[in-house]
Amino acid sequence: MMRKSYMVSVIFILCIGLILMGCPKKTVVKEEPSAKAEAAKIEAERAAKEKERETKERETKEKEAARVKEEQAKKEFERSLVAKKTPGIEGEIFESSLLKPIHFDFDRYDIRAPEAETLKGNSAFLKKFPNMKIQIEGHCDERGTHEYNLALGERRANTTKKYLLSLGISENRMSTISYGEEKPLDSAHNDEAWAKNRRAHFIITAK
Amino acid sequence: MVKYFVSILILFSFFIPSVEARVYLDINAPTFVQIPIVLPKWKSVDKTPPALTAKIYEVLASDLTLSGFFKVIDHSLLPSYLKEKEGIPNLLSIQEWAPSGGELLIAGEATLGGDGLSLRLKFHLVDLVEQKHLTGKQYDAQLQNFRNMVHRIADETILHLTGERGVHNTKVAYVIRQGEGREISLADFDGANSKQITQNQSINLSPVWTPDGQRIAFTSYLKRNPDLYLIDLNGRNLQRLSSHPGLNVSPSWSPDGKQIALMMGMEGKSDIYLLDANGGNPKRLTGGHGNESTPRWSPDGQQIVFSSDRSGSPQIYLMSSNGSNVRRLTYEGNYNTSPSWSPKGDQIAFCGRAGGQFHIFTIRTDGSGLKKLTPNGSNNESPCWSPDGRYIAFGSTRAGGSRIFIMNANGFNQRPLTTSKGGESSPSWSKRFE
Repeated sequence: MMRKSYMVSVIFILCIGLILMGCPKKTVVKEEPSAKAEAAKIEAERAAKEKERETKERETKEKEAARVKEEQAKKEFERSLVAKKTPGIEGEIFESSLLKPIHFDFDRYDIRAPEAETLKGNSAFLKKFPNMKIQIEGHCDERGTHEYNLALGERRANTTKKYLLSLGISENRMSTISYGEEKPLDSAHNDEAWAKNRRAHFIITAK
Repeated sequence: MVKYFVSILILFSFFIPSVEARVYLDINAPTFVQIPIVLPKWKSVDKTPPALTAKIYEVLASDLTLSGFFKVIDHSLLPSYLKEKEGIPNLLSIQEWAPSGGELLIAGEATLGGDGLSLRLKFHLVDLVEQKHLTGKQYDAQLQNFRNMVHRIADETILHLTGERGVHNTKVAYVIRQGEGREISLADFDGANSKQITQNQSINLSPVWTPDGQRIAFTSYLKRNPDLYLIDLNGRNLQRLSSHPGLNVSPSWSPDGKQIALMMGMEGKSDIYLLDANGGNPKRLTGGHGNESTPRWSPDGQQIVFSSDRSGSPQIYLMSSNGSNVRRLTYEGNYNTSPSWSPKGDQIAFCGRAGGQFHIFTIRTDGSGLKKLTPNGSNNESPCWSPDGRYIAFGSTRAGGSRIFIMNANGFNQRPLTTSKGGESSPSWSKRFE
């Protein structure tokens, strides 16, 4: 019993003591408000700097990624280029699989809806490479007369050029030529070959 | 009074034979029947090689057949007592040729000069029905020109029978395919002497003879644009005549040679322009939104025929040579192109689409008398007239690859010009070489 009351009084004293000890601590916190703000400021600055650094880093990374992407696009473009010389026709030109041909109906030169989408793709591509100059070749299938087909090919090339103009490609980057029925892609004499041959084909005259 | 009547009769009898002859020998008349003409074996005079004489005979038989006027009876088909009879028969014994079945007879002889280089040909044309001598001539020339001499005999025969010379001494220019390239070639009326006159591997198209018959105008992509060029018949002296950006295609000279009508693409579509003879000073004749192609001058120089799709489909139109007074000529079908004006001025030949195929048609300049000349089951295009208007040359794919064909202007007697394997198109017929 004696032991128990001793223990209780020890705990009590300790509690008092703890309370008494706690008081001076509180006083210390209250006494240092400016130091804490300073610390917070430093911390904020540090965070801001960190954020800035991160942003910069991200931007650099993005730039780098864009650069790499552009590089890749350029490389892809370069890779897609095929230099071509045609016997009996002056000059070396390039062809790129990234400039897609469009196709026409028999004896027509209006641009069908899916072909317009192709031209939008071509226009985006041309905008990426603003120094590039192209020539639009108008072609026909073998049916009908040679001379009428030269006129029709002329019209197909020019209709295509006008469409690209409307998409913002400047006139001085585009020339046209009609080959009529004289340069078929497929020399077979059937519907499939004819459909392939009725086309506007793009060549690159300057990179 | 009686005296007066007699003189009129005399006048008439004077004119009747020639009038009759012309009517009788119009290959394009609907009632025309080919005249049987017998060709006895030609005589080789002195040391003339029989093989040469046989060749001369062969060319003459071919000329007469190709003319469309005659059904040639070869001496090898004759009864044995006539088969080997050579040379020009005596008129007094001409009756012995009656069983040959011929109404006319051409006999002749060849003499090779002692130098082996000069050749003399002599021929007689005889009417076996009337038993009379009609004409006969003798020609001297270099051996190497023997074909031309024979062509003259055929032309002279046709001149005598019809009042107008034949076209055996003419040539046809056309395009031949050479791999990816197209080259310009020439051949005689009978397909002989074919000769390529461009060798540049480019795309060379639409040959047309210059009015003097000494040069060929054509379009070439040498400079990566369809420019108009002139070249000599031997392939020399290439000269650029018109090189505006876009088309410079299918020239037609005015009959006085002072102006050229040309398809040009300067405005982003094909129009008909008039140029000076040196290719300068182009003036646009057609406006509107159509694609205009293949201008051809009328023989009187007053009008130009051309093809235009201004109505929605290509059709044949006429206009005055200053571009005014445009009127539509064809209303049948939805694809009529490539017109060509007949030398007599009364008809236009053109290429039209019928039943899914392309055919040669003729139509009178007043729009009447539309006639389809080529048979179903074939594709045919690019008609052009012979200088006498009796024949039309055209491209046809009936024998596989495209080849040049010739037919009488009424569509009879269609045959290939050359026997190549194909890839020929766009014929243009020369004037006569004298």
